[in-house]
Amino acid sequence: MSVAASSNMNMKFLYAGIAIALLIAIAAPFLASPDPDGLESAAGSIVEESKLAGMEVSAPFVESPMADYAIEGQGKMGEVVAVVAGTILVLGISFVLGKAAKKK
Amino acid sequence: MHIPDSFIPMGQAIVYWVIALPFIFMSIKWARKELDDMKVPILAALAAGIFAIQALNIPIGMGTSGHMVGAVLVSIIFGSPMAGVLVLTLVLLVQGFVFGDGGITTMGANILNMGVISGFTGYYLFVVLKNKTGIKAASFVGAWIGLLISALACAVEMSIAGTFPLVAGLATMGLYHLIIGFIGEGLITAIVITAIEKSRPDLLDSSVTNVKGVRA
Repeated sequence: MSVAASSNMNMKFLYAGIAIALLIAIAAPFLASPDPDGLESAAGSIVEESKLAGMEVSAPFVESPMADYAIEGQGKMGEVVAVVAGTILVLGISFVLGKAAKKK
Repeated sequence: MHIPDSFIPMGQAIVYWVIALPFIFMSIKWARKELDDMKVPILAALAAGIFAIQALNIPIGMGTSGHMVGAVLVSIIFGSPMAGVLVLTLVLLVQGFVFGDGGITTMGANILNMGVISGFTGYYLFVVLKNKTGIKAASFVGAWIGLLISALACAVEMSIAGTFPLVAGLATMGLYHLIIGFIGEGLITAIVITAIEKSRPDLLDSSVTNVKGVRA
């Protein structure tokens, strides 16, 4: 296989990967379980309530623009936009960083 | 398993950053040595897919959910746990700064757990198993156990932080992630690796597809 053809196939893999990632990103807000994750759930069951309440009200170190994968007041659509935006952001950063780091 | 800022005191959080940083540097060194024009698109697509799938929490019963982490999958595809560290670092940076998922002070601990510990344990378990069990079973077990071990490490960190009691933390985190790891990590990793092996075996690192483990 020529280098050009192989590179072309890898671009196809990129497009297929992006399509799958975006499909998951769009579906995630509707399909994801609202239950707490393993760490939060463990905290809820083994940390005393008063201590946990104190930990939960303490503000995060940095305020996030789209905390909890949501946009304030925008409901499910806001969540879809947030996860899709994050997916594209990760894609862009990885691509640019990968291109910058790769062997010359 | 994303640890928020309030779960680890600042001093300890810095220690985990100090432990994680050399691995982050090594992963960048890996990228400089291994990445080329063919591999960059694969890395970017995988990173995007892992960010998206981490937003998809799967219910596991007991009022708990969990999601895939993905470090083992990336490590197997690229034939190095450094690839998993790199991708998880990028994903955790965006999750922490943009979405408040995982803290900023605790990001070092999160990179250590999900990128380094799950990736290294899972990848090397895969390497040890693949000649005996084949790629499918080895990727399943590697991803499953890699996630479980990282959850146990997280429980130990929570205990040192004074957040969880040690035994209850190990038991609860262990139980939840035994289940999360089976479905969310093991099954998905095995399915994706099998699909790539069938359709595009050239994408997998030669050390993976060559069952004898000898690089071509």
